[in-house]
Amino acid sequence: MKSMNHMFDAHKNHTGTRPDGRKGDNGRNKGKKFWFSSLFTAGIALVLAAAMFLAGCAGSQSKERSGQADGGDKVIKIGMVGPLTGDYATYGQSVRDGVQTAIDEINAEGGVNGYTLQLIAEDSRGESTEAANAVQKLIDQDKVTAIVGAVLSGETATVAPIAQDAGVLLITPSSTAPGLTEVGDYIFRNVITDDVQARQLAEYAVSQLGCRKFAVLYANNDYGVALRDNFTSKVEEMGASVVAVESYLDGDEDFRAQLTKIGSDIDALYIAGYYTEAAKIAQQARRQGIAATLLGADGFYSEKLVELGGEAVEGSVFTAGFYSGDASEAVQTFVSNYKQKYSQEPDMFAANAYDTMKIIAQALAKAGNDRAALKDEMYSVKDYPGITGNTSFDANGEAVKDVVFLKVENGKFVRAD
Amino acid sequence: MLQQVVNGLTLGSSYALIALGYTMVYGVLRLINFAHGEIYMVGALIGLMTSQAAGLPFAPAMVTAMAGAAIVGVIVERIAYRPLRKAPRLAVLISAIGMSIFLRNLALAVMGPQTRAFPIPFEVKQFSTGRFRMSSFDVLILLTSIALMIGLHFLVQNTKIGKAMRAAAEDKETASLMGINVNRVIAFTFAVGSALAAAAGVLIGMNFNAVDPSMGMMPGLKGFTAAVLGGVGSIPGAMLGGILLGMAEVMGVALLKSEWRDAIAFGILALVLLVKPSGILGRNVQEKV
Amino acid sequence: MISPYYYQLLVIASINVIMALSLNLVTGCAGQLALGHAAFMGIGAYTAGILTSVYHVPFAVALVAGAAVAALFGLIVGLPTLRLKGDYLAIATLGFGEIIRVAILNMGITGGPFGLRGISKHTNLTLAVAAAVLAYLTMKRLMNSRFGRALTAIREDEVAAVAMGIDATRHKVLAFVISAAWAGIAGGLFAHWFRYLHPSSFAFSASVEILSMVVLGGMESLEGPVLGAAALTYAPELLRGVSDFVSRHRMMFYGALLVIMMLVRPQGLIGSGVKGLSISKLGRIHGVVRLPQMERVTQWLTAAKQRKHLNDSSVSTDSRVVEERLAGLGMSSGTGSRGTGIGSGGGEEHAGS
Repeated sequence: MKSMNHMFDAHKNHTGTRPDGRKGDNGRNKGKKFWFSSLFTAGIALVLAAAMFLAGCAGSQSKERSGQADGGDKVIKIGMVGPLTGDYATYGQSVRDGVQTAIDEINAEGGVNGYTLQLIAEDSRGESTEAANAVQKLIDQDKVTAIVGAVLSGETATVAPIAQDAGVLLITPSSTAPGLTEVGDYIFRNVITDDVQARQLAEYAVSQLGCRKFAVLYANNDYGVALRDNFTSKVEEMGASVVAVESYLDGDEDFRAQLTKIGSDIDALYIAGYYTEAAKIAQQARRQGIAATLLGADGFYSEKLVELGGEAVEGSVFTAGFYSGDASEAVQTFVSNYKQKYSQEPDMFAANAYDTMKIIAQALAKAGNDRAALKDEMYSVKDYPGITGNTSFDANGEAVKDVVFLKVENGKFVRAD
Repeated sequence: MLQQVVNGLTLGSSYALIALGYTMVYGVLRLINFAHGEIYMVGALIGLMTSQAAGLPFAPAMVTAMAGAAIVGVIVERIAYRPLRKAPRLAVLISAIGMSIFLRNLALAVMGPQTRAFPIPFEVKQFSTGRFRMSSFDVLILLTSIALMIGLHFLVQNTKIGKAMRAAAEDKETASLMGINVNRVIAFTFAVGSALAAAAGVLIGMNFNAVDPSMGMMPGLKGFTAAVLGGVGSIPGAMLGGILLGMAEVMGVALLKSEWRDAIAFGILALVLLVKPSGILGRNVQEKV
Repeated sequence: MISPYYYQLLVIASINVIMALSLNLVTGCAGQLALGHAAFMGIGAYTAGILTSVYHVPFAVALVAGAAVAALFGLIVGLPTLRLKGDYLAIATLGFGEIIRVAILNMGITGGPFGLRGISKHTNLTLAVAAAVLAYLTMKRLMNSRFGRALTAIREDEVAAVAMGIDATRHKVLAFVISAAWAGIAGGLFAHWFRYLHPSSFAFSASVEILSMVVLGGMESLEGPVLGAAALTYAPELLRGVSDFVSRHRMMFYGALLVIMMLVRPQGLIGSGVKGLSISKLGRIHGVVRLPQMERVTQWLTAAKQRKHLNDSSVSTDSRVVEERLAGLGMSSGTGSRGTGIGSGGGEEHAGS
């Protein structure tokens, strides 16, 4: 900070003296001026590089010192990266709060092998470049043992190679795009993937709900497209038909043109997207006389769906990895702890993040505070009984998890199966 | 297909409502108010707060929203535009864009990123005559935009302040020599334009039952496109442009692929700017430097 | 050795320096506000990334190809739009930027909404800094060339520039194409550093950030964009954890920054502190504008007259107008005029009527 100020001051002095010194001799000083400017720029670059370098040294030194002050090796740092601000802040904040809830519970029970867990959450603003900087910082400056994140699929795809190169466990509790864990053996995912939930819902809709004619309205992003492809192919495998496929963009408000094109002659409408748009689509569909059953994925799982959608979303069926109404003690403990701290109902992001942190803690207890050993230990997690069902990891680091079917009934989510 | 025409008409009338505000301000100041979309959002927010927190019925909530947005509009003009009235064009543009980003993120900081529900406080009827459906609220939006257009036309053409606005639009210096308080006229223009944006924000927010901080961005751009299409500075042009743009978008979805919806809108904008920058009903103004 | 965190920041800073310098050529030097600059970076990034990852083209070739394709799109977008002025140009470039982004999103080869994966790492700090320095030197040479002076003349007063025989559209388009090419190179470097591309990285907000860098540093010099890019790359990282409020509402401060800079220091952090000084004066101080001798101006005028086949009476008025404008520009060395009014006339002056 100090060096930056200094740089500006130094510069002001330059410009202060320049105009008088060169009045009316533009031609003669051409060459001189060129070199002056070049030198000046080189100077800026050097000062900047030096500032960063010094800040880097200072940063790591102070970090080392603070580590010792905390009692040397008695703290294990866990990083978290995701959008804490901006348009996607809700998702990132839920993940952070879910991880924090888990850490608080673990520390209250004495930590892991006598170590206290400490969360360092960094903001990505939903942008890949920011996420990359945040992960580099967590790894190099904070020396975290493992990272929970990133949140959006695009962010995770950007930061995964960085974590892999550095040999730091990175486990995303929310990015569902296919293939993310293929980057390397340090990359894990603990969330039901798009293909699994879309295919299971298609099967359920055809065999249990008896739907034959489907339409798909998808968000034109990785999530929506992956859901669309898997849902469509499974429906056709099952011998039913998808009669219309239309798209929209996140943030759109008017879906009437697409809905009119889809028409009302369908049994079910699969909305492959998030709850905000789903609620608007539901309302406009009802107004257009589309009475079909609405289907969705875990993007529906938010109280906002009912708040924004009202009557229109009644009877909707969707897949999820977590159900906060579950009677089990683990789920109720989590829900009450979370509510007490953040005074809101936890969503699926928070639940997955919570389970993820608990799984990391369990692996840490066996492997110790060692990045490589921790990674190896993660592969041996089998049927971990968490609040999001039983979780195992396959050879790619993909979670194998149960899917639950939920239904909107009288404005509340209830299990459909 | 008939239903798609109705869809285009209702979408278009909401664009027209936003376009009217752009046209007002541009007509007088020759300035595109980049923050117009954000004022639309602020208007919707105020409407939401007054009708839910303060529990006001529809009409008073609407009036408060329009008044609140008018005040915000005047403040924006005072801070970001007036000091730069004699500055290079580039500076005003950058300032306007900065203001738009600032307002959007200020709303984000105040209300958070979550979408809020904004239910219509009265019974909405559905008209359906076999082939197509339309809600009474869609009709309300369409009628409101037509009424506002006529009202604006009257204001500009037949009132004293309207005459002052036209004089200021023609030549600010001469107008001020004639005893017109140009600053006040411009502030008034911003107030009216912002109130229109708020009316649009409240109506559209209610129609889709959703208000959020980034809701102004796309409608802002589309409303601008509509204004340009019809001819910036022309009040009936804004109406026509809005309807045409709404139609084009809906027909694009109906006949082509919905993935390209926004590209169609911006494609039209680019095309109009290249072929006839003055728009369909715009006057061919002598190029100004 | 420098830590990977700061190493990465320096790479990003270098890429941003290239972006800021290239935007500055169009916005700062030629005075044309373009709001879709990130789209050209996206084109370069995707072109280079697809070439190396799918077609296994050598990195250097891919980087140049990325620049070429970006330049081509610069030409396609620039040719029609640069005939437009001010607000219209800003909106048109914004619209084209969004169309390009939607196109990337809907294409198969780009990976669409899943993004482009599997790009290998070729960019390093040396290369990024070398590219940034090269960009700086190129812009420096351009600015001191006849071409650069023509751009400045267009920015200050397009009508006068045209009257002096400068083909404004051609110059602006050329500047736009060069600018797009450099953005393409920055994109190629970006792609081979992060190894993953997503359309959202090249959206409108990215263009606004680049514009903020140029505006913060100062549009009238080349050092300005460099400083602005470096500062806006580093400042958010500096703010991590330091001030929660500021870092949480960063975009709000970017917006406020643009407004405040325009009100208080339109010439940017770099630039003379004298308020109200016209751009032309600043340009002279910073050596952006080389003052031609009056004789040369007269020669230009004569040439302009011949070229335009103007009849005598209109020539006399036109040349008077031009001379007045030149005086305003501070280009006629003897007058000492401050050149207020001109180039800042906004919509006030009717020309050629």
